[in-house]
Amino acid sequence: MVISPLRRKVLRDLRRLWAQVLAIALVLAAGVATLILGNGAYSSLHETRARYYDDYRFADVFADVTRAPRALLGDIREIDNVLAAEARIAKLALLDLPTMAEPGTLFMVSLPENADRGLNLLHLRLGRLPDPQSAHEMVVSEGFAAAHRLHLGARLAVLMNGQRRELVVTGIALSPEFIYALGPGEMMPDPRRFGIAWLPRPALEAAFDLEGAFSNVVLKLAPGASVDRAIEALDRLTAPYGGSGAVAREDQISHAFLDAELKQLRAMVKVLPPIFLMVAAMLVNITLSRLITLEREQIGLLKAIGYSSRAIAQHYVEFVLAIAMLGIVIGVAAGSWLGAGLAQLYVRFFSFPFLIFTRDPQIYGLAAGFTVAAAVAGALFAVRVAVALPPAAAMSPPAPADYRARMAGLRRLFALRQTGVMVARHLFRWPLRTASGMFGVAMAVAILVASLWSFGSINHMIDVTFTRAERHDALVAFGAAEPARALFAARQMPGVLAAEPFRAVAARISHRALSRKLSIMGKPEAPVLSRVLAPDLRPMAMPEAGLILSEALAEALAVRPGDRVTVEFLEGARNTVTLPVSGLSLGYVGLGAAMEIAALNRAAGEGAVISGVALQIDETQQKAFYAAAKATPKTGFVAVTALTVARFKETLAENITVMITVYVGLAAIIAVGVVYNFSRIALSEQGRELASLRVLGFTRGEVSGILFGELATIVLLAQPFGWLFGYVIAFGMVQAFSSDLYRVPFVIGPEVYVTASLVVCAAALASAWAIRGRINSLDMVEVLKTRE
Amino acid sequence: MSNSIFRTKGLTKVYRSGAQEVHALRGVDFRAARGEFIVILGPSGSGKSTFLNIVGGLDTATAGEAWFGDHQLTALDERGLTQYRRDHVGFVFQFYNLVPSLTARENVALVTEIARHPMSPDDALALVGLTDRRDHFPAQLSGGEQQRVAIARAIAKNPEVLLCDEPTGALDSATGIKVLEALAEVNRSVGATTLVITHNAAIREIADRVLRFADGRIVEETTNATKKSPAEVSW
Repeated sequence: MVISPLRRKVLRDLRRLWAQVLAIALVLAAGVATLILGNGAYSSLHETRARYYDDYRFADVFADVTRAPRALLGDIREIDNVLAAEARIAKLALLDLPTMAEPGTLFMVSLPENADRGLNLLHLRLGRLPDPQSAHEMVVSEGFAAAHRLHLGARLAVLMNGQRRELVVTGIALSPEFIYALGPGEMMPDPRRFGIAWLPRPALEAAFDLEGAFSNVVLKLAPGASVDRAIEALDRLTAPYGGSGAVAREDQISHAFLDAELKQLRAMVKVLPPIFLMVAAMLVNITLSRLITLEREQIGLLKAIGYSSRAIAQHYVEFVLAIAMLGIVIGVAAGSWLGAGLAQLYVRFFSFPFLIFTRDPQIYGLAAGFTVAAAVAGALFAVRVAVALPPAAAMSPPAPADYRARMAGLRRLFALRQTGVMVARHLFRWPLRTASGMFGVAMAVAILVASLWSFGSINHMIDVTFTRAERHDALVAFGAAEPARALFAARQMPGVLAAEPFRAVAARISHRALSRKLSIMGKPEAPVLSRVLAPDLRPMAMPEAGLILSEALAEALAVRPGDRVTVEFLEGARNTVTLPVSGLSLGYVGLGAAMEIAALNRAAGEGAVISGVALQIDETQQKAFYAAAKATPKTGFVAVTALTVARFKETLAENITVMITVYVGLAAIIAVGVVYNFSRIALSEQGRELASLRVLGFTRGEVSGILFGELATIVLLAQPFGWLFGYVIAFGMVQAFSSDLYRVPFVIGPEVYVTASLVVCAAALASAWAIRGRINSLDMVEVLKTRE
Repeated sequence: MSNSIFRTKGLTKVYRSGAQEVHALRGVDFRAARGEFIVILGPSGSGKSTFLNIVGGLDTATAGEAWFGDHQLTALDERGLTQYRRDHVGFVFQFYNLVPSLTARENVALVTEIARHPMSPDDALALVGLTDRRDHFPAQLSGGEQQRVAIARAIAKNPEVLLCDEPTGALDSATGIKVLEALAEVNRSVGATTLVITHNAAIREIADRVLRFADGRIVEETTNATKKSPAEVSW
């Protein structure tokens, strides 16, 4: 095979300029990798979830009732568009393990009657389903089994409805209902302290005094059916039995958290790849422009001996395509590798029985297409110059750079020396190039600002939530509302220093056509242990009458303080009242509404009852307290603040190193790519000038200073823009992420900007260091002899 | 011999390119007196540029010695050579090598800023007759004007030596003469020892002494009893 001379030149150019080529290819690769990674992870997670839901018949509607007769199921099945309905018992039980002092909860769910045609089917990992007649056999969730090293046949003591029972593990399973298994009162899944156990219905009926009744119902709807209408009908049927309002799949906790994750991936795919591709296009443009300037005479010669403009354009486009190909190859490899890593992370964090890591050729094609497009777009302008050169003009040297701007003002302002003037004039002579360099560096900073801020925000969120609002050490939620005197009983428990009651009543709050279902929290007039904070972080007093809504809820209902909302209680007397909104509160997770506890009970038409207590505990008596809390039949679950926070921080810490490494790596790729290419081009353009200065007696340091001064100016001027871009991107992400589930506080501390800038400046310094050798070996003798 | 500013003894330079050795200088013995105006002639590859580069501190010798006053140039390291060029030597290049982003005056100031006893950039430009062009950028000046700026830049530090490699090589005769006049004027007023390399034999008449290089050696040395002024020569 004969390689044409021009193609051979492409290969030689690639080899000669390998470092610059690699730097650009890496930026392109980062774009490809994030595109593949983001899209790949998104579609993997999406596909996996869809398949899982389908295969295991995940329900569409979920509803809790206090106690409904099984006969009601027949009516429920009659609801329009209901394909299947299943009545279950779903109740919390407390763990009673000798190996675990701290409180733990098992969510007891009755098994589908029919292992094939039921809903929310189990994926049995190990062992078998319990004998339907057995009262002691259970299947436990995989994460829980792993956290406690439970094997088949293991025995486990639980407190159900205050009664201790020993159960035997016959199987280990997963369920589409608990992909993200969040315990009550927790912020992160903790498989050690929260697990799911599936038992035959009769066993649970007996344990929870629910013979012939159910406490939970799930529905599968016909495709395309109106979920709202089904919920409405279901709520009507369950209302007499303590139905607290059904929720659609989109509000089911496990599903909603997964959705939040998917949303985040979507946002990443929208933000990161375009940044890399834009920066790469800019780098291709400036690098190719310089190459074409240097090869002016060769282009003229080629044209003079008969090569067409088209052939020459093709030659340079081939050069760029080769860089793009390199970027695609590296990016695909990195993207696939990182994608597999991310998939592993998902498998660990979310409980899937399988993971479909899609290798959708479309995504790869799309990534390759965008990359080539970005590279070629970057090349177009430069190539057009080459094409337009008439051969005669091309063969004579280019006119010397024409400087006219004197910039006397700038010079006086900074008391610049001549070398400083050189730097300034050079930067102003090619404003577009200077701007693109700044743009590139700013993007590197922006990527860091837009990723690093979240850690500070999360810390802020934790700090506000647990040191200013939820200041209790433990929270005991009762299985059902208890008379107010339960508070005094709680105060008598070992280790309890202070106790504060709370009430939680399920309600639907609506304003005009908007409504949300949630628990309204009742608190003492001036709560101490569990406070509600105003947006300025001041603790709020509970109003005599009226509701305090979290900002997210107020937004969802489009209400302002002073407006009146309709509150439809979904428990007890099921009163419907209208209440004024008396204030707005801060809230990061979920929707919140609070009022004074007595006022809440009055409005709900109930006596002086409480749902649980927030407690301050003497640390030295923790164990005794845990034991006592467990032993109290009233206890539904116990949440321990320190454990919640520790688990949250632990989970965060697991991801933070990986995330920071990835983002620092991505930002460094841009910073190095931009600074290295800019310094090589600057050196190529000014090498002659700099060598002349060396002849005139300038030291290596002084000469490097001129070149690096220019780069440093670009890098430093880019910082504020980087901060600004980063701020805007982060703000956009906050808007995109915020949902009824989360409301991330938008806090960017100065340390975020400082860290981002330091990382980028370090990367810039490293790439400047890489060309130091070239500056030091500038050929002074050559300068005396040759014309550029 | 206090009057001698340059001394070389057996100055030898061998370049190795691949397996081949190229003897650029084969033992040059040379002396120059303070204030002397020396023209160095010789064909391409005769070693004259290599010689100028070594005495100018741009290149190192393979063997032999080169002295500038009491400094042994051949014993200096890179840092020492840079300091030597900075403090004592003015260079003028064939292609001027002005910084395009600086005006004439700024190009001169570039050097005066780092020199120990510089004259003012305006004085240096006045010496070469460019006072009224001092705020122009190189791209706005003619070749001759650019070369005169380069001379002003070279002499503004009040150097002891002025080394010029083909200073008129890129210029036409009339412009070249102007440049030579500037060089001669500087040599007179600043008293810098001036070494001018040229292909142009006509220039020899304005020198105190003329050296002819061939094959890495000085093969001929002539002293002009009377030197002509640049205006009197032509080519």
